[in-house]
Amino acid sequence: MAAWDLSVTVEDLGSDAPPVTLSVDSGLHVGGVILKLVEKTQIKRDWSDHALWWEQKQRWLLRTAWTLDKYGIHADARLVFMPQHKPLRLGLPNGITLRLRACFSSSVFQTVMGICRMLNIRHPEELSLLQPVEEKKKKKDKNSAEEIYDLTEVPLSSASRPCLYNGMPAHFADSPQMEAIYKMLSVTQPPPAPEVIAKQYRAASVVDKAHIHGRWLDSSRCLLQQGIQENSRLWLRFKYFAFYDMEPKYDVVRLTQLYEQARWAILLEDIDCTEEEMMLFGALQYHISKVSQSEPQMLSSSAAMDDLESALQSLEVKMEGESSSASEMLENMTAPELNDYLKIFRPKRMTLKGYKQYWFKFQDTSISYFKSKEESIGEPIQQINLKGCEVAPDVNVTAQKFLIRLLIPAPEGMNEVYLRCENEQQYAQWMAGCRLASKGKSLADSSFQSEIQSIRSFLAMQKTSSGTHGNAPANDESINTHSLVSPRYHKKYKAKQLTPRILDAYQNVAQLSLTDAVMRFLQIWQALPDFGLSYVVVRFKGSRKDEVLGIGPNRLIRIDLAVGDVVKTWRYNNMKQWNVNWDIRQVAIEFEGNINIAFACVTADCKIVHEFIGGYIFMSTRSRAKSDTLNEELFHKLTGGHEAL
Amino acid sequence: MDQLSDEEVEVRDEEEEEEDSDKDDQDLDKMFGAWLGELDKLTQSLDDGRPEQPPQQEAPLRQETNMANFSYRFSIYNINEALNQGENVDLDALMADLCSIEQELSTCDSLTLTESIRTPPSRLQVRQKAPTGHHGRPALASNFSLDDITAQLEKASLSMDEAARQTSSHSLSSRQHRRTGSVGTVSEHEARSIVHSSRSSVTSASRVSVNSASSMDSLDSVLRSSESDGQQPSVMPSAEGEEQAAKLKAENIRVALEKIKEAQVKKLVIRVHLSDESSKTMMVDERQTVRQVLDSLLEKSHCGYSPDWSLVETINELQMERIFEDHENLVENLLNWTRDSQNLLMFTERIEKYAVFKNPQNYLLGRKETCEMAERNKEALLEECFGGSSVSVPEMEGVLWLKEDGKKSWKKRYFLLRASGIYYVPKGKAKASRDLVCFLQLDHVNVYLGQDYKSKYKAPTDYCMVLKHPQIQKKSQYIKYLCCDDVRTLQQWIHSIRIAKYGKQLYINFQEAMRRTEAAYDWSSLSSSSIKSGSSSSSLPESQSTHSSQSDSGVSEMTSSGHARSQSVVSSVFSDAWRRGTQGEFKSVHLLCTYSTQIYKRY
Repeated sequence: MAAWDLSVTVEDLGSDAPPVTLSVDSGLHVGGVILKLVEKTQIKRDWSDHALWWEQKQRWLLRTAWTLDKYGIHADARLVFMPQHKPLRLGLPNGITLRLRACFSSSVFQTVMGICRMLNIRHPEELSLLQPVEEKKKKKDKNSAEEIYDLTEVPLSSASRPCLYNGMPAHFADSPQMEAIYKMLSVTQPPPAPEVIAKQYRAASVVDKAHIHGRWLDSSRCLLQQGIQENSRLWLRFKYFAFYDMEPKYDVVRLTQLYEQARWAILLEDIDCTEEEMMLFGALQYHISKVSQSEPQMLSSSAAMDDLESALQSLEVKMEGESSSASEMLENMTAPELNDYLKIFRPKRMTLKGYKQYWFKFQDTSISYFKSKEESIGEPIQQINLKGCEVAPDVNVTAQKFLIRLLIPAPEGMNEVYLRCENEQQYAQWMAGCRLASKGKSLADSSFQSEIQSIRSFLAMQKTSSGTHGNAPANDESINTHSLVSPRYHKKYKAKQLTPRILDAYQNVAQLSLTDAVMRFLQIWQALPDFGLSYVVVRFKGSRKDEVLGIGPNRLIRIDLAVGDVVKTWRYNNMKQWNVNWDIRQVAIEFEGNINIAFACVTADCKIVHEFIGGYIFMSTRSRAKSDTLNEELFHKLTGGHEAL
Repeated sequence: MDQLSDEEVEVRDEEEEEEDSDKDDQDLDKMFGAWLGELDKLTQSLDDGRPEQPPQQEAPLRQETNMANFSYRFSIYNINEALNQGENVDLDALMADLCSIEQELSTCDSLTLTESIRTPPSRLQVRQKAPTGHHGRPALASNFSLDDITAQLEKASLSMDEAARQTSSHSLSSRQHRRTGSVGTVSEHEARSIVHSSRSSVTSASRVSVNSASSMDSLDSVLRSSESDGQQPSVMPSAEGEEQAAKLKAENIRVALEKIKEAQVKKLVIRVHLSDESSKTMMVDERQTVRQVLDSLLEKSHCGYSPDWSLVETINELQMERIFEDHENLVENLLNWTRDSQNLLMFTERIEKYAVFKNPQNYLLGRKETCEMAERNKEALLEECFGGSSVSVPEMEGVLWLKEDGKKSWKKRYFLLRASGIYYVPKGKAKASRDLVCFLQLDHVNVYLGQDYKSKYKAPTDYCMVLKHPQIQKKSQYIKYLCCDDVRTLQQWIHSIRIAKYGKQLYINFQEAMRRTEAAYDWSSLSSSSIKSGSSSSSLPESQSTHSSQSDSGVSEMTSSGHARSQSVVSSVFSDAWRRGTQGEFKSVHLLCTYSTQIYKRY
């Protein structure tokens, strides 16, 4: 066979260096080419990660046993010899940017698997990479100052499960810097400043959202094929909203990042919610940030130790319970009480009297009041059992208004009673007592003190937020309530108006542990009607106007673009088959009962729609597959399209 | 002798397992039933089934008086105890009890009262001695070293145990009986007779082993121990190892503490009316779920098992009703009733209880029309909705009529259901989430079915639902009335609200109910005619699992009497009704009284 010259650019020699010319024949296999090339460069180093990239055809020559002939490479081919793993700037759901080495030669699906392995995120099939929205130029100087966490030094491993050290992958235990990165990954970020929220890009309409969803990378092709260059910026996001097998013990990073993604979706109104829901989300964010600051190490201890620990603890409790219940009973006999002068007001009673002062006694789950302290030995004027009642705060620190609003159920209806406290201290105690009593717990309950504490810290928050706005927060406990809600509410309410509303919602979640609070946040998020919908603007066959297709974890919905109403819902359960005509870029779906729909995609490639549908079908198969290993082949079968055939 | 003590420990372990089961009350239920002359048949069949007939049976007349005696002693005791502890006790209810008891007390033997309250320490000895013989003394000493309160409580609670023990040991070996010298003979004798009489009426098994002393709590264990009678050595042990003593001591402490806990358990007497005008009375304790109560009702009323059996609360004054969910606590709900309440508790089959799981396509998909769906797809749909980490609330929205607060008019509003509550679209706004106004959140309210509101409240239709706090029992502005255009919409809303409120729990309830139904079918097909087993067992899984609350008697009864009583009504009952019952004029009265477990547990 005749020899001919093949020129190969070696990336490591620098961009200015001329291509290396090799004399080859068509029967030479790719491995041979690489061997010749390496010999010619005379550089001694580890070339194992390098491979040949065929620029014109946009493909990697990864099969080293294939001959040049088989690949169809001739003398005009421009080949580049470069590493398969290159650094990438990866924006995490929590808004932090990581620099890490990702695989540019394998499918994006595998690239994401590699990234998730490095970051210790289970079920990488739920995530994917998204091209970020272009940032405005004026922000550029700011971005250069942005802190970037560097993970490029992490050795590439192919092990499917990283070995864990102290509950985190071993590579994070190498240095304090690495540990700091792991902490960033696994601990929720403090609430962002309101200005930061306001500056972020917000999708104003469903069409805007559709444009963002058109930016997902094709998971069956590699990064380089999709024009992603070294050091490019990409977002790592949860793409399929079907979260399988959430296990707080093993999913520290996964949970944290999912929470962050959900939080931002709420703050930026990527998903709509009602005001009440927003307040609850705000309360949970406040609680999560508070708790994660106080117990940051909680989640990092190893699972086995956790089991043992909890077993021991419960044993201890049992033992204590058995041995000391007699003394406990003694304690109960001297149950703590609250005694003080408070003012009471019954708004629904048809009296014109205002607040009246009485001597109040809080015992067990009941409040009783007397004319005066001296008469408190006798029969109370009234005794109110607070079990099952609703407690709402009405507080204005600056105005020194400390009101406890009680809504007490009775056979005749709800009785409204307001208790007015004199000061913060008194309020915190009585409020805590009321809250516990409403849940049927007495003042002797162990959570009484912590309840007081959380009320006080919330009052402190109101103090600072009502103060001057530009001031940096004085301590960890003070958070601007505007940081917890979407910008819409920044305009609607002042921070001090917002505080009591969030406080109201907060009382129902204040006792949750960090993990439980995160889980609750995710649950409420998942229960929103629009949860999990990805939008694409499409043109249905036979229709003359653009419409929006919403792709959810279990259904497809057709949305009228003009009105915003859901026109029709189709469920995957009823789906018989779907096809993509790649030539005319049309998706056709057949449902049971002879329902056929077909549409062309406007804001996204039809491969994206195809991948979403196939991906969700794949996600739903996971519960049936008993094995823990990821069925990558099936995923590609369902999402690959014509490339997979 | 070592053998015996080992066995004792074993049997006690069994009892521990039973301690918290719902069977605790079956003996009670049956006891009440016996009063009402309803259990004769059962007793008969039990007697027939057991070759070992009780050597002595008490006259029923005697039994009644004793019973009264017995329980009053303990309710008094419990009040004292409660007062001492300053625990959260419904004193009102107890006072009511006291009043009703007062009359009876006058006829009671006052000696009995004082005896049981101020039990001399020596009585403890009896308990120790009976099983362990002479070497029981070290354990004894340690019992005395318990904290004063514990000891006192234990003493009192033990007194009953021990009375029973005496009796049983008496029946086994008269030798043991002689040791109980310090006990007042009157009370001892009485207690014994109570134990015997109640037992014989319930189980017809009088030969009760020594170990059954503390097993009075549960009929089941009584049955068991009577079964094990055959192997019981007739000679009591005379020596005992230190180890055993220590074990016993620990056991006694545990039992005592258990008793203390038990003593604080509220109990409620409710009455069961059957559709054929007959009635049953049963006792529920505050730990029982609706499911557990349903189970024991089903077992007693011999109506075929079906997941549709429901306990329905009807509030007559407000013309509304609600099916209690299986996981709910019955006592907690019934305590919301007022003392003079006209409320009723129905025991009836309601197909709508679990309709959402039988035809999920009609409820979960937000469709307007009813349709069929393949079983396979139904399961997939349910799994999709309830299998995940969060439950997706059905997308319910539409125009409903709302009765304005305190007004007579009904106004149309566009309502939406979300996981966080019910919202409506304010006038002149689109239905974007952020503009929705919260109508109410579901944490504190239950959804009721309104009855005949067209005439009562001039509602546009009779398809009304009501949302209110369970404690509200009278007309109030805090009760929200909603009216739907048709029954289908109404049912969809009610089901969707239940899903939003209870989430996955509802599905778990349904699965549990189905499991029980299947288990019941298995039972009946095992023991009944071939026709029945042929038709039912072929379609149902042949699980060997025995249903927990299915006792021997339950099965035999069920197959013999079939599905004769299919409907029954339960209403709760006063303590004085209870008293009247002893005089033979038991009438249906509503309301409840709280008793401490201890009163009845001992039977």
